[in-house]
Amino acid sequence: MRFLLAGTRPPGSGETGELALTTAAHRVVAAAAWHSWLRRWGLLLSFGLPRDPAAELRACLIVAASDEQAANRLAAGWGAVSGYRVAVLPLTGGSSGEAGR
Amino acid sequence: MSSPEEAALTAAFRDEWPRLIAVALRITGDLQAAEDVAQETLLAAFDRWPLQGIPDRPGAWLMTVCRNRARNLVRDSSRAQERLASLRPLLDGQTSPGGTAPGTKAAGIADDQLRLIAMCCHPLLATDGQVALTLRMVAGLTTQEIARGFNLSAATVAQRIVRAKRILAQHRVAFVTDDLDIRARLASVLDVIYLIFNEGYLPAEGESLTRGDLASEARRLAYLLTSLVPAEPGPWALRALLSFQLSRQAARTAPGGALLTLDAQDRSKWDRELIADGIRSLERARDGPRGPLLLQAELAACHATAPSFAATDWAAILAFYDELLAIQDTPVVALNRAVAVAMTAGPAAALPALDALAGHPALADSHRVWAVRAELHRRAGHTAAALADYDRALDLVSNQAERHYLAQARRQAEEAPMPEMPAFRKPPPELVARFDDLAQLAGDADRRQMFGYPVCVLRGNMFMGLHEDSIILRLADDDRDDFLSRYDSGLFEPMPGRPMKEYVIVPPALVADEAAIAEWVRRSRAYAEQLPTKKRKQKKG
Repeated sequence: MRFLLAGTRPPGSGETGELALTTAAHRVVAAAAWHSWLRRWGLLLSFGLPRDPAAELRACLIVAASDEQAANRLAAGWGAVSGYRVAVLPLTGGSSGEAGR
Repeated sequence: MSSPEEAALTAAFRDEWPRLIAVALRITGDLQAAEDVAQETLLAAFDRWPLQGIPDRPGAWLMTVCRNRARNLVRDSSRAQERLASLRPLLDGQTSPGGTAPGTKAAGIADDQLRLIAMCCHPLLATDGQVALTLRMVAGLTTQEIARGFNLSAATVAQRIVRAKRILAQHRVAFVTDDLDIRARLASVLDVIYLIFNEGYLPAEGESLTRGDLASEARRLAYLLTSLVPAEPGPWALRALLSFQLSRQAARTAPGGALLTLDAQDRSKWDRELIADGIRSLERARDGPRGPLLLQAELAACHATAPSFAATDWAAILAFYDELLAIQDTPVVALNRAVAVAMTAGPAAALPALDALAGHPALADSHRVWAVRAELHRRAGHTAAALADYDRALDLVSNQAERHYLAQARRQAEEAPMPEMPAFRKPPPELVARFDDLAQLAGDADRRQMFGYPVCVLRGNMFMGLHEDSIILRLADDDRDDFLSRYDSGLFEPMPGRPMKEYVIVPPALVADEAAIAEWVRRSRAYAEQLPTKKRKQKKG
């Protein structure tokens, strides 16, 4: 099954106020590791990023998961490394690889 | 734990941060907006790099996103419409990815960073505001990080930053059109960075002796300045000073956190790369005027390049303090000079100066004068006076590491008092005449006076001298072993318990043996020839 994971920055998270450079670096490295793990296992089918860097929606992932529970676990992992609030939407029908682009 | 990738990325972000702020400031004209844009740029990297991969040129990527975001902000702001029009020529030229404003090239970016530093150190701002703003805008530290470094609440630091930004905005301190000669403001910029360093290197309060982050940030800022204005000697002097000081960082505290003074430090733990950087920077700094920073760097170099505490050139240190005192007559300089006097002429010679300083109002709340006087009283054998001064110092000290050190020193003074020091005697005239004969054998070495005693010096390194009724020679390790095995002699020890390890006392019989003494003078001079040249201070006027 395919799922769309939509990551948004939680309102009032304070992240836009001040971001420690060490924290930023830590997050980039942690998130990059998580994404590469997802790729290695063939779970990341596609991704999309907003054109506007200030958009509330930060990124969308299309992932393969055996069921909704598994998709929720992936969403929780992504939320943990990114700090995003992640919504999970099951995709029906054929390939949804273009979503979010 | 941070991975190497994380450390590299943090370093990249730190390097880019002032550039991002500067370019955003140039476009938006507002410090707060510039900061927001720089933050959003980092967030954009955080969103995109994990998915798209870290770009080949992360700096150029960040700069492009930052510039675009700043332009969007100006464009989107209805209040800024007029400003946008006035900036149009500038904005139109900034379209190449990773490129720079027209006509600015790399130097333009460098100047932007320099302008940013000068703006943060603007004379309109109080010193605490200058420090906080520099750390936030140039070093990229968060309010929390700055607060932790200075033992302040985050709210206090935030207030300082907001107030500083407001003052700059109220007085319309322009970034783009500020045509002031930024180099003229370098002195206050250097002061602010040195202040940050001092707070990090020896904080006034707290458990830990060092707050390495602040000290390291100050060093980074000094490095940045030397790269931005390489022709200016001032930043090189600051860089030399900070490099020498930081080179001892790892050796300054014992495993339990207690303070270790210079004589107790393991010099093998000193950072040789930093010392080398200090020496190179000092060479560049010597092209400039002999101001306080350069003289302090020279003083730090004397310590950093001494092979051992015993071999420290205290005479040179005293000479530098004399010069420093002539241009910066402060009680702190006078206090440090008194220590140098004690090391060269004995504690009794320094105590009168310390007695005068003890009553100085500027030092009334400082433990240092009492701590130094206590130590000198202890070494002079005045145990009761030493204990009283240690008590006074302990009442005033607030850094816990220093408190432990003082308490331990007091215990030692109480449990193992030192015998009273004799005053140094003048040498007999016939020995001075004999010394002059031997000095002839030393060829072109300089004959100087050091604390009333004649000495021979080659390229700044003393190798033969007279002390009381003895001639002393400086010898290489092998020669010294050879000398001590042949003669009934010993190491030169001007003060009990403080031998000068490279120097031996020439026994009277050898002084009279023309052939033998000539050979030892030759060996001593040969050793001095191998030593690195020490620059002597230039006399003013």
